[in-house]
Amino acid sequence: MVATLARRFGDLGIAEEAASEAFTIAVERWPVDRVPPNPGGWLTTTASRKAIDLIRRENKRANKHREAMMMIDDEPLQPLGAIDDDRLRLIFTCCHPALAMEARVALTLRMLGGLTVAEIARALLVEETAVARRITRAKVKIREAGIPFRVPSSGDLSERVSGVLAVLFLVFNEGYLATGPDTDPIRDSLTAEAIRLARLIRELMPEDGEVAGLLAMMLLIEARRRARLSASGELVTIDEQDRGAWSRALITEGHSLVRERLNSGELPGRYQILAAINAVHTSALDGRDTDWSQVVALYDQLVWLDPSPVVALNRAIAVAEVDGPDVALAEVDCLGAALDTYHSFHATRADLLRRLGRGREAYEAYDRAIEHSGNTAETAYLIRRRDQLVD
Amino acid sequence: MQYLVSVIDDGQADAVDSDTPASSAEQAAIDVFNEQMQTDGYWVFAGGLGRPVGATVVDNRGETPIVTDGPFVESKEFLAGLWIIEAPDLDVALRLAHGASKACNRKIEVRPFLQV
Repeated sequence: MVATLARRFGDLGIAEEAASEAFTIAVERWPVDRVPPNPGGWLTTTASRKAIDLIRRENKRANKHREAMMMIDDEPLQPLGAIDDDRLRLIFTCCHPALAMEARVALTLRMLGGLTVAEIARALLVEETAVARRITRAKVKIREAGIPFRVPSSGDLSERVSGVLAVLFLVFNEGYLATGPDTDPIRDSLTAEAIRLARLIRELMPEDGEVAGLLAMMLLIEARRRARLSASGELVTIDEQDRGAWSRALITEGHSLVRERLNSGELPGRYQILAAINAVHTSALDGRDTDWSQVVALYDQLVWLDPSPVVALNRAIAVAEVDGPDVALAEVDCLGAALDTYHSFHATRADLLRRLGRGREAYEAYDRAIEHSGNTAETAYLIRRRDQLVD
Repeated sequence: MQYLVSVIDDGQADAVDSDTPASSAEQAAIDVFNEQMQTDGYWVFAGGLGRPVGATVVDNRGETPIVTDGPFVESKEFLAGLWIIEAPDLDVALRLAHGASKACNRKIEVRPFLQV
């Protein structure tokens, strides 16, 4: 509803305020007057009237006022398609590249996720006042700079979609492996919210391969959630997870999306490749049956698209299973300059050194990994691994 | 909406060995860009600025006017020129700014005029 009002009146603040006034009226009246036959339509109509009042009160937007009057004249019931279009417009507005990434995340969680400012503050580990300021500032910019409520033109679309997906990926990642020591190590509410929004975008843009890819990747990672933490609160690596605890329903859904993309014959983007990698992992009933050469081949494809050191690091982890830890270690050691403060780099080195029987070096690498890991479950896992070393 | 499209020089003028702050190649590219903007109906105004050394600051809010030599902020980056464009929204303005940045070989700031 906020999306519809925002499109109609071109102003997020008015849309939100009008929607909340309409809900307040509904809460007061419905128990007395009975719920109207079309509650959604009633709310939208009421909110539209409130929005016009608000605009009148502001008294300085003659054009908007005129437009609003024109639109309220005969209030046709919005077909579902139009509402979906409005939500899509709202996603693109919230994730506009002219807004700072932090503002995009906060605004998306607020306007699309419907999270309260307090919930967002907890999610992002910042003060409520900071979140409120971020959102207010973003709304002012949207209004003053003329950021449109519009699905981008086809020329910009793929770039803008990838901007939206980057926001969802960021939210999901924080849920998947929380970066700070002051929260639960795995934050279900964030992964769930990212998946919910990805499903929404998938419904709105069913043809987009990367949208399907991101959703599939999230589902296949989320499927393993219950197996990722041990009873003592340690992170459990994929080879040691109880695969019986994986969610078959999510895996089936994820695999079907990956198959759909493979059958499309289109070249996959990075999320589709990441989804395919997760599909390989979740296809093996036993960790020892994992088709690691397939994983390496997929990482080769990914490196070609995204030659970043983090991708190279993840590729090396798969290389260790195919060509041995010595080959992998040589590759990992080339990344030291770029990844020296990245916990995963040191954890990967530590594991490879351990497997090569180089205990003393492994111990130091575990120390470095522990130093840079903020996630409590990961830290617990690394400490145990380090303390089990015998040199 | 109208947008101010500011050209930010962060060292390009110093690299030009002549009186004009823009190189002849840059100037030619800007001319082509301006013609296209006029054809497409976005163009309102454009102008290049002289180097900041030519600036004078006047403050006449007090009893007597104070005139100071030089720009109001000394910085490595400075305003080198500007466009004023008419665009329906920020998406269009940013797309034009992409072209402007290429043409003049400098960073660009896009800022909306106050709407009245």
